[in-house]
Amino acid sequence: MTLPARSDLALLGRWLRARVRIQLRTGRAVVFTFAFPLVLLVLFNGLNGNATVDAVGAAGQVKFAQFYTPSIGIFSLTTACYTSVILGIATARDSGLLKRVRGTPLPMSIYLGAWLTGAALTGILAVFLLFAVAIPAFGVKIYLDTLPAALVTLVLGAACLSSVGLAVATLAKSADQAMPIAQLTFLPISFISGIWFPLSNAPDWLMKIANFFPLAHIVHAFDKCFSPGVTGGAWSANDLWNVAIWTAAGLFVATRRFRAEPAQQDAGPRRRVLRRAAA
Amino acid sequence: MITNDLEVSVAARRATARPEAAEGPPAVSVRGLRKSYDGVTQALDGVDLDVRRGEVLAILGPNGAGKTTLVEILEGHRTADAGDVSVLGHDPAKRERAFRARIGIVLQEEGIDQTLSVREVVELYSAAYPHPRPAMEVLDLVGLGDRPGVRVSALSGGQRRRLDLALGIAGDPELVFLDEPTTGFDPSARRQSWELISALRDLGKTILLTTHYMDEAQHLADRVVVIARGKVIAEGAPDTLGAGVAEATLVGFRVPYGVDGDHLPLPGGTEVERRDRLVSFRTRTPTRDLAPLLAWAADAGIELEALTVTRPSLEDVYLQLTEEPA
Repeated sequence: MTLPARSDLALLGRWLRARVRIQLRTGRAVVFTFAFPLVLLVLFNGLNGNATVDAVGAAGQVKFAQFYTPSIGIFSLTTACYTSVILGIATARDSGLLKRVRGTPLPMSIYLGAWLTGAALTGILAVFLLFAVAIPAFGVKIYLDTLPAALVTLVLGAACLSSVGLAVATLAKSADQAMPIAQLTFLPISFISGIWFPLSNAPDWLMKIANFFPLAHIVHAFDKCFSPGVTGGAWSANDLWNVAIWTAAGLFVATRRFRAEPAQQDAGPRRRVLRRAAA
Repeated sequence: MITNDLEVSVAARRATARPEAAEGPPAVSVRGLRKSYDGVTQALDGVDLDVRRGEVLAILGPNGAGKTTLVEILEGHRTADAGDVSVLGHDPAKRERAFRARIGIVLQEEGIDQTLSVREVVELYSAAYPHPRPAMEVLDLVGLGDRPGVRVSALSGGQRRRLDLALGIAGDPELVFLDEPTTGFDPSARRQSWELISALRDLGKTILLTTHYMDEAQHLADRVVVIARGKVIAEGAPDTLGAGVAEATLVGFRVPYGVDGDHLPLPGGTEVERRDRLVSFRTRTPTRDLAPLLAWAADAGIELEALTVTRPSLEDVYLQLTEEPA
């Protein structure tokens, strides 16, 4: 017996709303996804406000904020989609939340799908918030003809980061491992991917490593949309292809790992620590 | 032994077993179930088990006896190495969605999204069931009806367990699994939980609960299955369990000072235990064996201090049953 697809969509919608609500009510997530990037933006502009840097994907120079706002936007996106998915899923598994879901008729695909979509929406919301501050405060300009490319990059980037995050989450054996895994994969790659400073003078071999991973491509494709004078609507097919392939790979690995999981961990009931109820 | 209204009402319900309890195919049927971990630990070593529809069955056993493994196989969380398992006509190992829609699992201390409110959680987790109960009805049933807006993180331990129970029944399942529902509870919280579980059975649910509390099994269950070392070692109604194991009633009294304790009219053929002035013996015929003793004491005007006649408690039975073989 399968339930009609329409009710599954309703179920997905319901869980999606709940996931966004959970994200917004979780202090740590709000601080790291929304507040921390804003602090970075204000701080770096205070330090470097009058500097100019090479425009990404176009000739000439742009004001520091014009480069930095989209870059920090991708930092926000990564925090919301990648870091918090790894941490959240690992914690959910440790605390028995995934086991609870497995015992209900809710398909794991809907549960995790809502989780990833919720993370993506939260990340995109954080980017919008960043621009809502940066446009009036630091004179950051957005361009109508590159806006479609910017939005597509944002959505595809969010999908990529969260599905890769889910795949990485299955590698963490416990919630304690999740934080170091998330930070040790994200931070080094973020430095070589052009989030913190432009990479125009970086050595070739380093760029090759950076370009293997999706983050550099997301940053490049997104930053390019905010360079004045860029042509062709700022679409960068090469970047988007890389991001799409990583998205598919992440989903493939995550699906396989989640299917295999119960058998894999079948080492007997875990010993519970009995907590005295405070009733 | 505690006696109160609850116990009386449970006993009354037991006496008037619901008609559906005995009819139809069993809710759970298990034959020759085996499961080992790492090929070394034999968690289940050939278990046979039936749970009738509408029945409350308690699985009793010491830690590590295989209770949780058994229940998790029935829930579909684990797969068996060998044996036949049928739960509501499904093979739980297939983890079909339709199967999961018909069972409710009350987990022990498992995760709930901390930032959601009590009502939000119940509505969210029941949404996947075909015919969920209204959230407020479920909350009323478990005694959380007055705090639907409280966040999960703000609940006390006892309220958390009520919420666990609410989540287990929110989908209106036919079969409810309760894994050690009162472990770690204080006495009053335990009693409240017992009332909740009694309310569940009144709804006509089949309930399978694991516990290592004898009194819990005695209060709640229609039938008890004792598991030890991966095997079913005894089963039956709580009152009749262990017939033939610790069947003898224990008689004990204290010989008053100044009375010669060596020449009491005690039954022959039984082993009489003496510890200082305390005398005790086990007998299957307490009335016959007590009569001469009481007559002698009455004639001599002697009061037998601390006279007790005790039937073996389920706990005695359990301890004898689960004793590790020497």
